[in-house]
Amino acid sequence: MKNACERWKDPLREAALTGTTPKDLEEHLRSCAKCSAELDEERARAARLDALLPLVARGAEPSADFRARVVAGAEAAREGKRARPWQAWALAGAAAVVLVIGVVMYRRTTQTISFSVSELAAAQKLAEWRAPSDGLLATPGQEILRTMPRLGESYLHVPVKTDEEE
Amino acid sequence: MSALIARAEARSPETGLGERIAENQRRVFQIAYSVLGNAADAEDVAQEAFLRACQKSALLRDTEKFRGWVNRIVFRLALNRKRGHWRRLARDTAWQMNETPTMVDGAKDAEQQVMLDRLRREIERLPGKLRSVLQLSIVEEMEAADVGAVLGIPAGTVRSRLHTARKLLLDAMK
Repeated sequence: MKNACERWKDPLREAALTGTTPKDLEEHLRSCAKCSAELDEERARAARLDALLPLVARGAEPSADFRARVVAGAEAAREGKRARPWQAWALAGAAAVVLVIGVVMYRRTTQTISFSVSELAAAQKLAEWRAPSDGLLATPGQEILRTMPRLGESYLHVPVKTDEEE
Repeated sequence: MSALIARAEARSPETGLGERIAENQRRVFQIAYSVLGNAADAEDVAQEAFLRACQKSALLRDTEKFRGWVNRIVFRLALNRKRGHWRRLARDTAWQMNETPTMVDGAKDAEQQVMLDRLRREIERLPGKLRSVLQLSIVEEMEAADVGAVLGIPAGTVRSRLHTARKLLLDAMK
């Protein structure tokens, strides 16, 4: 192809792929043998490609027993589902047990305790009750206990004389 | 197993599955094969698509709806299988290979086999949008509208993408 024919490169490929030749290209082809040959070559390649492309998908067939295997697979899946009804019952039973336990627990935690007025008065009296021996504890011994040093504190408080005092 | 198949075949008219498989199996298999390039994997994926259809009894009764649904599902399943395959391949054999040689059963001779392998590699190199359209368009009975229904694009877009894909392949296969 001459350099002047470079601009026909794309239209040539389009013509080969679509099978239609625009008028301006037709006119050029009449006067250019090289482009004519190029178009023939492009058309041959396009035909080869179009012949080859279907083989990418249609090169193989499903096996003869494909349909039977799929139908059998579907049937097996259906029978498997049907053969295990106890699973549904077991699941329902477990759900019921969990529900009952949940309800019982909930009721226990939210139950309100009600007391009568006399019961409340008795309880308050009990809380305010002090043993008679409480009075005995109010002795000097109590003061000693209160001022007793805690762990880590010293029993002896020996005043340290400083140089100035001396 | 044969007894199970016989019993299932006997029951299939009442479920409608056998009939739907007979109508669609070739196309469904080819969609999977065009993506996976391997008959065993394509058959697995096609089988899975039909088994999923069994769970939708209403779908089995409507021929047209079933056709569209099964086309979509098998294409998705095939793409998923392929992604998984490439991941496994990259993990297990990264030390030894870059590309897998494919065996195309329909190739007439060695030269055609070589050309097909090359074509498959070139298809893999196409941008995803063009590749999907091409892989579906080369399947028998798949018109532009069918391809568009699977990919969720108009038929006109399918035609234009197919044209672009062929142009790129023509350049690549020089």
